[in-house]
Amino acid sequence: MLYTDIRKLQKLDAKRSPMFDKNRFAKFLMYFAVAFWAAYLIFFGVMLSFAFEEDSPNMEPYHVLNQGLIIFLILDFLIRFLFPTPVQAIKPFLLLPVPKRKIMSILLIDSGLSLFNLFWLFFFVPFALITVTRFYGLTGVIGYALGIWLLMVFNSYWSMLIKVLIRQKFLNILWIVPVYGILALIEFLPETGWLSTFTINLGEAFIFWNPLSYLGELAAIFLMAYINYRVQLKLIHNELSRKEDTHVRHISSYSFFDRYGNVGEYMRLELKMLFRNKSPKSQFWMLMACVVMFAAFLTFNVYGENSLMNDFMCLYCYIVFGIMTLIQVMAIEGNYIDGLMVRKESIYNMLRAKYYLQCIFLLIPFLLCLVPVIKGSMPLLMSLSYLFFAMGPVFACLMQMAVYNDRTMPLNVSMIGKRQNNNKYQSIVSIAVMTIPLLINQVLTSIFERNTAYIIMILLGLAGFLTHRYWIYNIYVRFMKRRYQNMENFRNTR
Amino acid sequence: MDIILEKLKKCYGSHVALDIDQYTLTGGEIVGLVGNNGAGKTTLFRLMLDLLKADEGHVCIGDIEVSRSEEWKEFTGAYLDESFLIDYLTPEEYFHFIGKICGLDAATVDERLSAYERFMNGEILGQKKFIRNLSAGNKQKVGILAALLNRPQLLVLDEPFNFLDPSSQSALKHLLREYHQETGATILVSSHNLNHTVDISSHIILLEHGVIIRDLKNEEGNAEKELEAYFEIEQ
Repeated sequence: MLYTDIRKLQKLDAKRSPMFDKNRFAKFLMYFAVAFWAAYLIFFGVMLSFAFEEDSPNMEPYHVLNQGLIIFLILDFLIRFLFPTPVQAIKPFLLLPVPKRKIMSILLIDSGLSLFNLFWLFFFVPFALITVTRFYGLTGVIGYALGIWLLMVFNSYWSMLIKVLIRQKFLNILWIVPVYGILALIEFLPETGWLSTFTINLGEAFIFWNPLSYLGELAAIFLMAYINYRVQLKLIHNELSRKEDTHVRHISSYSFFDRYGNVGEYMRLELKMLFRNKSPKSQFWMLMACVVMFAAFLTFNVYGENSLMNDFMCLYCYIVFGIMTLIQVMAIEGNYIDGLMVRKESIYNMLRAKYYLQCIFLLIPFLLCLVPVIKGSMPLLMSLSYLFFAMGPVFACLMQMAVYNDRTMPLNVSMIGKRQNNNKYQSIVSIAVMTIPLLINQVLTSIFERNTAYIIMILLGLAGFLTHRYWIYNIYVRFMKRRYQNMENFRNTR
Repeated sequence: MDIILEKLKKCYGSHVALDIDQYTLTGGEIVGLVGNNGAGKTTLFRLMLDLLKADEGHVCIGDIEVSRSEEWKEFTGAYLDESFLIDYLTPEEYFHFIGKICGLDAATVDERLSAYERFMNGEILGQKKFIRNLSAGNKQKVGILAALLNRPQLLVLDEPFNFLDPSSQSALKHLLREYHQETGATILVSSHNLNHTVDISSHIILLEHGVIIRDLKNEEGNAEKELEAYFEIEQ
């Protein structure tokens, strides 16, 4: 009863949001992406079934797949970081005369029953239909699918636990080290391979409808759900009483910004915003991890020499901060927009400060990219070209969102949060800045030599940087023209 | 300087939130704005501060039309609600931030704040707390003080007595009177507290459903009876 009521309220909440109309395009993109990935997984399921049969004639294809089940679980674990934590929805129910524990249990059950947990079946079912049916019929496939679904439910609770802990403190990500470390040890210690042997047996047990395998999974799911339940209940209390920063031990003054006048003051404000609020802070460290990962890909030449993916990785290193922060420009300021708007030209100075700070942040990927450059797996010119191109046209493009963003982004949502902050322009601009620089690079490379193409991109980037005062002022003027509409929407979404 | 409201109208759908044909607020006065919920007090303030678009008409502060120029921002201070506060700053940082964008150095800001020690009551400065962790009353104090920092010639405060304890309410009245005497600034204050409004205002405007229905001179508190009669307050 309460479960259906909560579901109804969540649906109404989404439907009656003042920004529902603006979410439609993002929703369309989401449905498109779901259909695309479903088709992609089906394709892979079918292709791999034949590939395994050919490559490993001494093993059944489902055994080959099952020995790598952990890879799917790790991938699933990582993908889930892209989604909001479901228990963020708890706040509206906390003041109702219903025990918190009951609501938490319902939200956890809701998360366990999420349709996303079925998504991998687009891969496993076609694979099993080809490889399992001929020996064990449709019952074998159903048993296998059921077992995989339960594994994904378990994985969803595991990833939820880590996500919730990370929201409290980023260093909690270290919890994954012993877990995956032990798994790696039991797999890779000489003459072991215990993990892959276990997953082969587990997969076969699913196909045979071995009750012990399901009971084991159910026990693991209940245990992980219970840990989530305890941890999250505890953290809700922390969140509500705001224990963590009621007394600040150290207050950073960033006094080196003093010499840069009003713009410096806004740069200081921007840094404080970034490091004193949960959402931007955790986003920053998450992005830092992404940049390190991409730089590592480039260092170890994962995609081989001259691959377009190397260009993509390098570009992504430089624009990922911009994409995540500039795309939301003004959304955080929506929290205190009225205070800014009664001060003369404050928005113009703030936009400049944001731009300068983003340019300074480019030093981080630049330094990280020096590792593959020194190792010789990436040319310095390539790194410089994407650095300058990000600083110029990419940031100029992203900062246009200052005119169109009109939803306030909550600063301190951790356990308790709101829906994603998207509009159609954000989706279009994100896709554009991730693809158009590569297209430009490809076009230039097809006309000129590779190095010439990079130099042209550097020049384009410099042109964007040198003209930044003009285009930022233009953004400011356009923002001021739309200010009433934006301010009203900011107020409505606080 | 005078504030001129010219054929000012603001609607939300079919609901008329404010409809003032022509009104001039004489400069250099403390003006109290009273009215029941939904009377249009905050809407009027937002229109004056260019935070809302008027459906018709305009507001001029002196000879500056607020929606066409930003010059009025240099001599105006305002605090309407928490959306004026940057809550991840400490009060000191917030004051220095506002000071800096108003062209004041840190020493001047500190000096100006020292004049308001009674109002701050030792609960604002040096607390090592972010604004978000202050009580509602102390947040209100931070907002009011920040509005005063640039010594504005026009000060707009929406329900400034809200959330304040009785001592702080009294200190605020004292502070506003003193500031007015020192600077001759125009001060606009909306409030549901008739006693405080009558105490400090030289002029009181009564709004009802977005329309100014009374414009009362308040010499020696003579507006109080009329307001009490309107709000049907029994003695």
